Amino acid sequence: MTKPTHKKAPHLSSGKARTPHKAAPRRVHDAVPDAIIEMRGIIKRFSNAAGEFTVLKGVDLIINRGEFVSIVGKSGSGKSTLLNMITGIDHPSDGQVIVNHNDIYTGVSESARSKWRGKNLGIVFQFFQLLPMLTLLENVMLPMDYVDMYDFDERPQRAMELLKLVGLEQFANKLPVLVSTGQQQLAAIARAMACDPPLLIADEPTGNLDTRSADTIIQLFEHFVEQGKTVVMVTHDPSLTSRTHRNIILSDGELIDETISRSLPQLRHRHMLEFTKIAERRTYQPHETILSQDQRVDNFFMIRKGEVEVVLQKARSKETILSRLGADQFFGDIELLRGGKSIANVRAGNDEVEVLMLPRADFVRVMEESPITAEAVGKIVQKRLEEHRMADPRKTRR
Amino acid sequence: MDTPLIEIKNLSKTYSTAAGDFPALKNISMTVAKGEFLGVVGKSGAGKSTLLNMINGVDELTSGEVLVHTDGQRVSVHGMSEDEKAQWRGRTMGVVYQSFQLLPMLTLVENITLPMDLSGDFKPRQARERAIELLRLVEIEEHADKLPAFISGGQQQRVAIARALANDPDILVADEPTGSLDSVTADHIFDVFSHLVSDRGKTIIMVTHDMGLKSRFTRSLTLVDGELAVKTEADDKPKRSRTK
Repeated sequence: MTKPTHKKAPHLSSGKARTPHKAAPRRVHDAVPDAIIEMRGIIKRFSNAAGEFTVLKGVDLIINRGEFVSIVGKSGSGKSTLLNMITGIDHPSDGQVIVNHNDIYTGVSESARSKWRGKNLGIVFQFFQLLPMLTLLENVMLPMDYVDMYDFDERPQRAMELLKLVGLEQFANKLPVLVSTGQQQLAAIARAMACDPPLLIADEPTGNLDTRSADTIIQLFEHFVEQGKTVVMVTHDPSLTSRTHRNIILSDGELIDETISRSLPQLRHRHMLEFTKIAERRTYQPHETILSQDQRVDNFFMIRKGEVEVVLQKARSKETILSRLGADQFFGDIELLRGGKSIANVRAGNDEVEVLMLPRADFVRVMEESPITAEAVGKIVQKRLEEHRMADPRKTRR
Repeated sequence: MDTPLIEIKNLSKTYSTAAGDFPALKNISMTVAKGEFLGVVGKSGAGKSTLLNMINGVDELTSGEVLVHTDGQRVSVHGMSEDEKAQWRGRTMGVVYQSFQLLPMLTLVENITLPMDLSGDFKPRQARERAIELLRLVEIEEHADKLPAFISGGQQQRVAIARALANDPDILVADEPTGSLDSVTADHIFDVFSHLVSDRGKTIIMVTHDMGLKSRFTRSLTLVDGELAVKTEADDKPKRSRTK
């Protein structure tokens, strides 16, 4: 059937017009300039015998060019569906998906999207999906044939360069069955990058691999990101999320606010989601007071943007700056967990500050149900009280 | 007696590893007749997959010979160059693995036309018609224009079988094709294979670690530590597909 040497497949193309009157993806004029992926109000409903259910419940998401992003969530949270919205494997029921400034659904035919995708997206799957009857080199050349990119004679050389990049050049003429699963995934990654796409999408790329192979894959992704590519990866492996710039959590079809997941990382996803829904966002101008010393504290604060100063007011207008807290740190914890009034002034630093505020009752209730997070917060409380005592040894209240 | 379809003579395969030489197959001699549904059973590491890779020439043997008689020709599989072998394999042997390896961005019908596009033996319309016919053969024609993500694992394996048949090979080799399927679905896949043997004249060699499947083959061989453990358990008449 196939020669190991490169053979032209003249009609191997996605250009089959299934809906010929529809156009290719169009440029969106109000797209966020730095964004490579923009999801606006994405809803996805499925119907089955049991009725209709909503897998994605209005997802708004921006992923910027050059980011290395992981997406996590429990089984059934909608993470693969979310990826399918970006790759076009599935279609949203409502909302807009803008990839590389192009609306990939509105008025776009399957075949036009397929062609567009071939040049703009590289996709890597958990089970590699290499064609068993083609050598690794031929598998890597496949997308170039599919979208007719690069001169015909250039393709084997480019495929070989990609295999070299992933460390497989000596296996180029082997069939997938003769190399390890880790090597198969490396070849699949080389194939995904065949047409030099700006964006690489990976669905559980290490889910079927040992830790060492997984590490090689992540290093490769890091290399692509250094080269300016964007990598978005769904994973359930927490050790991988620490290697990405951003970790997006999906819970029950909704995105968790990233400030909340970074501030309280050990919280259960359902609690994070609850906080996402009830948190109030507030902005403070530079140097504006957020909490006054001795004021009753009714909220838990998480810093979204900017820096706050925790200041101890002493007699005769003297003040000591106890600490400066930045994005993804929190305050208000001491007062809420121990009860009482603010033990210090908290004010915005030199720049505007944006915080997320949670009501006391909700925070305390969730802490009671979340021993690990409560313990982590408790340790920070202890440390801060210690700093407070050292700064103000006369006061021993509480 | 008719010339056997496949003759394996004194086949040995030894892998050299850092820990020393590992004999995966030890002096195997066997034949496969046309129209057999042969099961190669054995535990993990017994050499089953290695044997398949020797038969279809995917991997190199250490000593011995594999002869295949098709289209009136007698071919020494390991006597061919890599190019010749790949061409011969494409025409003669379809492969089915445990993981289906369908391309997720292509519809089922496109997944099947792909090998035909690559071989260049079919015109586009011909290829599509043939793909639809193959999907009909494995009974999932109604899903032809769906993407693999929207059908079940068992259905995906049917598509992989249809793809393996794209260039109309005489022989199918299948390595644990039901390994990731539940038993009911696996049973349906067996029906598909049985049907291909009894009604389409294909010869199938299937590797499995599941000894319980032995009764579904027309004959089975057991491999233990790289050797044929028992003499062939001949079963005179080929079994018919259960569903028909």
